Amino acid sequence: MTSRSKTPDIGRRLATAGCVLLLSACKGDAPPQARVRTDVPEPEPTSTSCWNTSGDPGTVVLHRLNRAEYDATVRDLLGDTSHPARDFPTDDHGYGFDNIADVLSLSPLLMEKYAAAAEKLVEAAWVRPGAALRTCAVDAANPEPCAREILGRFARRAWRRPVTTEEVDRLLRPLAVVKQLGDPPEVGVKLALRAVLISPHFLFRVEKDAQPASTTPHRLDPHELATRLSYFLWSSMPDEALFQAAERDKLGTPQEVEAQVRRMLADPKAQALVSNFAGQWLFTRALDTAEPDHTLYGAFNEPLRHAMRQETELVFQEFITGDHKLRDLLDASFTYLNDPLAAHYGLPRPGSGDAFQRVDLTAYPERRGVLGHGSLLTVTSNPDRTSPVQRGVWVLEQLLCSGPPPPPPNVENLPPAVSPDMTMKERMALHRTQPQCKGCHMLMDPLGLAMENYDPIGRWRLREVSGAPVDSNGDLPDGTVLAGVEAMRRFVKDDPKLPTCLAEHLMTYALGRGLSEEEQCAVSEVAAAAEASGGRLSDYLVSIALSDSFTSRRGGKEAQTP
Amino acid sequence: MKFKHPISRRTLLRGAGALMALPLLERMLPAAVRAAEAAPSARRLAVFYAPNGIHMQKFLPTVTGPNWELTPTLQSLAPVKQDVLVISGLANEPGRPDGDGHHAAGTAAFLSCTKAYKTEGTNFHAGISMDQVLANHLSQQRATRFASLELGNDAGRGIGNCDSGYACPYANNISWAGPTSPMAKETKPRAVFDRLFSGPPGGLSQAEAARRRAYGQSLIDSVRDDATRLQHQLGAADRRKLDEYFTSVRDLEKQVEALGDAGPACGLQTAPTDDEDPRARTKAMMDLIVLAFQCDLSRVATFMLANARANKVYNFLGLSGGHHAYSHHQFVQSNYDALAIIDRWEVEQYAYLVRRLKDTREGTGAPLLDNALVLFSSEVADGNAHHHKNLPVLLSGRCGGAVAPGRHLSVPGMPIANLYVSMLRALGVPGVNSFGTDSTGELPGLGG
Repeated sequence: MTSRSKTPDIGRRLATAGCVLLLSACKGDAPPQARVRTDVPEPEPTSTSCWNTSGDPGTVVLHRLNRAEYDATVRDLLGDTSHPARDFPTDDHGYGFDNIADVLSLSPLLMEKYAAAAEKLVEAAWVRPGAALRTCAVDAANPEPCAREILGRFARRAWRRPVTTEEVDRLLRPLAVVKQLGDPPEVGVKLALRAVLISPHFLFRVEKDAQPASTTPHRLDPHELATRLSYFLWSSMPDEALFQAAERDKLGTPQEVEAQVRRMLADPKAQALVSNFAGQWLFTRALDTAEPDHTLYGAFNEPLRHAMRQETELVFQEFITGDHKLRDLLDASFTYLNDPLAAHYGLPRPGSGDAFQRVDLTAYPERRGVLGHGSLLTVTSNPDRTSPVQRGVWVLEQLLCSGPPPPPPNVENLPPAVSPDMTMKERMALHRTQPQCKGCHMLMDPLGLAMENYDPIGRWRLREVSGAPVDSNGDLPDGTVLAGVEAMRRFVKDDPKLPTCLAEHLMTYALGRGLSEEEQCAVSEVAAAAEASGGRLSDYLVSIALSDSFTSRRGGKEAQTP
Repeated sequence: MKFKHPISRRTLLRGAGALMALPLLERMLPAAVRAAEAAPSARRLAVFYAPNGIHMQKFLPTVTGPNWELTPTLQSLAPVKQDVLVISGLANEPGRPDGDGHHAAGTAAFLSCTKAYKTEGTNFHAGISMDQVLANHLSQQRATRFASLELGNDAGRGIGNCDSGYACPYANNISWAGPTSPMAKETKPRAVFDRLFSGPPGGLSQAEAARRRAYGQSLIDSVRDDATRLQHQLGAADRRKLDEYFTSVRDLEKQVEALGDAGPACGLQTAPTDDEDPRARTKAMMDLIVLAFQCDLSRVATFMLANARANKVYNFLGLSGGHHAYSHHQFVQSNYDALAIIDRWEVEQYAYLVRRLKDTREGTGAPLLDNALVLFSSEVADGNAHHHKNLPVLLSGRCGGAVAPGRHLSVPGMPIANLYVSMLRALGVPGVNSFGTDSTGELPGLGG
């Protein structure tokens, strides 16, 4: 369905002369591979009409809550902040995110964890003051009215939709079992609450098609849309306001949806976008497992690891609520630092100790934007040296959605230095003399080499470990020289592929599925609309929330089994 | 047949005669007796996966037959040399990817011998793994509380692509219940322990067990009812997703049914801690496999030392580069040296497991290892060339005499699927004549 057929003329996707040259340099046996392929010429991303608009919203399969979503949901449903999902097995990820429905499997092990968690959650919530679970007292002689009230209210919230009388009737069945065994009715109510939490209606985000075999798109019902919105922006269930909007059918117009999105972004729960979207898009999550070589880079320690993550999170947070254009993430003139991180970067300490302060970077252009963040610079380095290739590939994939293919066997690594004082650039030039490597590296290397002034843990440097002066000129195949990170930033920021790529990553996350070639048009439209209304992150999020891909769905024929 | 209530020994002996079928007997025996008596015939399987291939020059003995030599990488096997069968020449052709993605495709095929469909997510598709074939068989017999254990050290980096356009489930799982059902693994020793030894230490009283079974069953009936009603309203793709739910609920039900019988028969155990140090973590995982076997809580365990293509830095071995980076050695001696150090450490961990299984006794006094099979391999042979043939394979244990270890067996070009056919037969799974997509029969010479 979304097979990535090899399309050699990928240069067509990029509009500027420099880029066409850049990408067409990578061909031969190993053409560059975009994450999303298209066999049709792509329109200008800023154009307002797309000639191939099919309006096909695509299909997303039954969507299991991932670990972050489970934890956030039980927090909002039960006031439980114990993070029960911490002990669940890791969710697999696909297309760069761990909320992709296709790869969120449900194994017997996970089911066992769900059952155990449900018991703990219910027992804890039953006695927690303010958990609002026991809205009435269960009368031992006549438990049904109160049980009905408790279970009806709970199931509505847990299943994110109105529940029918029959559904509540069925939930009451454990009461009879409990009575038979001589336990008080409360035990039966708790049992039913557990059943709600391991029901497929809770564990999966259920969306229905009136005609499951029809491929004609239809709009989501209001509760399904509310649920998509809340998991997109909050990684959690809808709140009461969103619920009521759905119940009163107030999610039907673009104005109503936009108002909800903007309201939700102002809520602290939108922090989920930082840890879940940005954490994966900007690779911040990989900091947890980063292991810089402690003999060469002993300055890297746990407080620094924590501070680097904090910096990127705080900056991204400001993009959610602030007035910045999303593309300014590349060269934002501010960041957040504490004293140790500022010292690490060689910047003046804000004087706040371990606490973070917003810092103006006007006077320090080399530190501007995410490309100057220790987090990104560390996770795209090898433990013992920088990796211009990893950095270059990050820029290509995460900012321009034009990742190169992986290297051929036998040549995946950089050869050792011929002489001890060779610069990284010289070693890579040597690597590029291998004909099978040359094509793609002419594309990846300049972007990464322009960042050579950052060492493997993000410090600014003028000399490499060997003592050789850093050469941070990235030479593009057309002769353009990217002289250091500032020039490279400008180059990427001017690339017309940037807005569509930002939209593509956000949409993949929003929909929880990979995008097919046919959807490039929809992506371009989302980007164009977002740029037209201001280009802020919030504009992108609104634009996605209003798109047909987000508000509609369709059934599908039996997918072909490969 | 289901027996929801324990039967007293007297009841059975009084009336039984011809009714004394084995399952009945097993069900009524107290846990301790059961484990001890079940053990002699019980076959067990453990699989140890090491990522990124092996530097074969330092791994493979040159001498075949019983006089094989302990190569530098295999030194730690000295105490169990007579229990180890080195098998060279095996190939896993289905592990070869379309284009690149050797690590993920090789890992998906590692125990399934099935070619993974290339996708970053949508329609991912591999095949059932051999450990799950055994687990299914044992599950039908209701042999143990847990049909299988899936363990690993690596929770993943959680970002980017897992391997060249191959979805992460391929790279992160060697155990597959079916083509679209990877068996997620536990990466925290403490959670594994808590799962194995949940419930009150003294076991449940009969009345309490009956109560919990009744309540558990009521829960299961309720959610299965939800799922059945939902199923009728869903399209084909969603129904497939829901099938996973039904399977998982069925497994949960089996555990509920088993509540109160077959508690761990090996006394109080000490829980491990969740140490981040891979040495401590690996040892804890090996100990848990031994414990699960010893207590007959499970007879099937798979372990991934790290996920496919892991770039783990082995600081404690004096290495500063990542494992995957070294594995692309480019014929450079310093990379060979680093790989040999890592490989040696990996085999040491495997040797520890084998040794412990040899030192741990069944009820009869025989080593657990004598009735077990313990496999070691990697998703490729040479990590630079990504070879899917001449794989590094170690097989320890005798499986009740079906395997004659203490030798180096050379079977050039033989599909590893043939080994799995022979292993499954030796492990007691009936009717296995083929496995995966490229088996051609049994692997000759396993029994000596």
